[in-house]
Amino acid sequence: MPGEEIFYLSVTELAKRIESKKLSPVELTQIYLDRSQKFGPRFNAYATLTPEIALEQAKAAEKDIKRGHYRGPLHGIPYAAKDLLAVKGVPTTWGAKPFANQVFDYNATVIDHLKNVGAVMLGKASMIELAGGSGYRFASASFQGEAKNPWDPTCWTCGSSSGSGAIVAAGLAAFAIGTETWGSIICPSAFCGISGLRPTYGRVSRYGAMALAPSMDKIGPMARSAEDCARIFAAIAGHDLKDRGTIAIDKAAFTYSPSVSSRSLRVAWLNNAWKSLDGGTAKPFAAAKAVLKKLFGGMKEVALPAGPWEEAGSLIVQVESAASFRSLIRSGKIGELADPLGQIAPYLNEQYSAPDYLQALKVREIVQKKMDAIFESFDVLVAPSQPVPATPLTLNLETGLAFPDPLGAIGNICGLPALSVPCGFTEKNLPVGLQFVAGAGDDIAAIQAARTFQQHTDWHKRHPKIH
Amino acid sequence: MGSKNGSVISRREFARRAAFVSAAASLSPANLLAEKPVAGSVPELQTPTGPKLSAESQKEMESRLQAVFAQYGSRLNDAQKADLRRLAADGQAGLDRLRAYPTDNSDGPALYLRPLMEREKKLSSTPPTPKPTGAPKKS
Repeated sequence: MPGEEIFYLSVTELAKRIESKKLSPVELTQIYLDRSQKFGPRFNAYATLTPEIALEQAKAAEKDIKRGHYRGPLHGIPYAAKDLLAVKGVPTTWGAKPFANQVFDYNATVIDHLKNVGAVMLGKASMIELAGGSGYRFASASFQGEAKNPWDPTCWTCGSSSGSGAIVAAGLAAFAIGTETWGSIICPSAFCGISGLRPTYGRVSRYGAMALAPSMDKIGPMARSAEDCARIFAAIAGHDLKDRGTIAIDKAAFTYSPSVSSRSLRVAWLNNAWKSLDGGTAKPFAAAKAVLKKLFGGMKEVALPAGPWEEAGSLIVQVESAASFRSLIRSGKIGELADPLGQIAPYLNEQYSAPDYLQALKVREIVQKKMDAIFESFDVLVAPSQPVPATPLTLNLETGLAFPDPLGAIGNICGLPALSVPCGFTEKNLPVGLQFVAGAGDDIAAIQAARTFQQHTDWHKRHPKIH
Repeated sequence: MGSKNGSVISRREFARRAAFVSAAASLSPANLLAEKPVAGSVPELQTPTGPKLSAESQKEMESRLQAVFAQYGSRLNDAQKADLRRLAADGQAGLDRLRAYPTDNSDGPALYLRPLMEREKKLSSTPPTPKPTGAPKKS
């Protein structure tokens, strides 16, 4: 077994070695596969490993590179895809028992994009059933079982991109693809001590991805650094005729070059994102804030506007998820879900009225304008990603992880980009994360601010010891 | 850990729907629907740990719950029905807060999400057209 450090190299570093032919994509893939087979079950990280696909893609990458056809920074890089992305001929369970045998005969657009740039798919990452769209009370709400946090296996990874978080944190792949409707990239990234980008709504095609709340569903990378996220995002972003939710060609595409001179960012600290910081997180957040003040001279404080944003977001998700899972609800198969809340909550979701849904949509537009006004003065807003570290696996999430999350609501109903990066540890050695939120379409501002933070800190280079 | 606040919806509530305990759980729906409001007032039904609901909201919540039970009641055991009642009470409180937020006809319907990528400032930064001198005042 090679030294552990190779499993924690960034995409950027792996790419340098692969391009210069110092690292073989086939060898890299094989050692990641071996590690995933050995440690994946410990964390319930994977739904399915796909060694045949991985080795075939790795061999093709190696052959291309040897012939001088290097395709860019993801060529030959192993990754995992959340198990709600269709991969032709491979089970796609959506993390839920009723879909245990579901197999699609086509690839999600994201999978095709990654294939086209030569990335190597190791397998499908486990997830919360239906990405939490039916409701859940416990971390065990998954057909694959509870995802365990590599920093402390008695703790949860957060959801719903739970396997994606565990895989990156445990060094089982170089990066993973996650999705977020509300919190599902940002929270696992924070709990697992990794970097995760929730892109602007509509920049990444959802074709071939499970629909939860179509007006809020987003797909994004989870990786080792903001820079890695940028490189992956550049590969998967873009308008797609197969997803009418994607934005126009000129606005959806994303290119990234670290050498491009960065613009001067106006950064503000959000002072009302959370009511309190608990579980030993206050100290690392205070230290991170001090670093930010040095990096972004004149960093001001700003408050989120008050309003029923969470109520609007919740209703939009409830109504849209009831539509997305109508056949599952009507058939009674939701009774097969693992979580007691997921077995019943969708019945209620079907009952909400069109007038209430329309009111939620009007409120969405109002808060969009309010946030746009804030982004006239600031490019990036910064706040703790979560006000707590990773929670125990057995915690009742309804009572133990229930706190107001106005930024999560606003960010997701407005489709704003956010990037969570590690910014310290609690005394129990659990990571905490900081989120950089930007205006819609200004993903590069969030990336640039987070990258600047990571250039002056080394939290993202730390990793758990896996033996 | 974060504390629960009955007046504010919890994070990722769509996924978990906070577990407020409603006193209504101990009342049969029929009793609630038959209950007469106190003359001259709109009584709020205070539940032990759940949200305050007006009589009207309580009635609406019960109606919603009855619709669920009518359609799916045979699939649900008593514990699940009680759970749904708690969820319905919390959901009703959220609806009440949402409906109370003022909107008007000029607030667009946002029927699908179009991220606001074209800043309003582009419009506002356009120099205003100078008014001709001596323009007639609007009556």
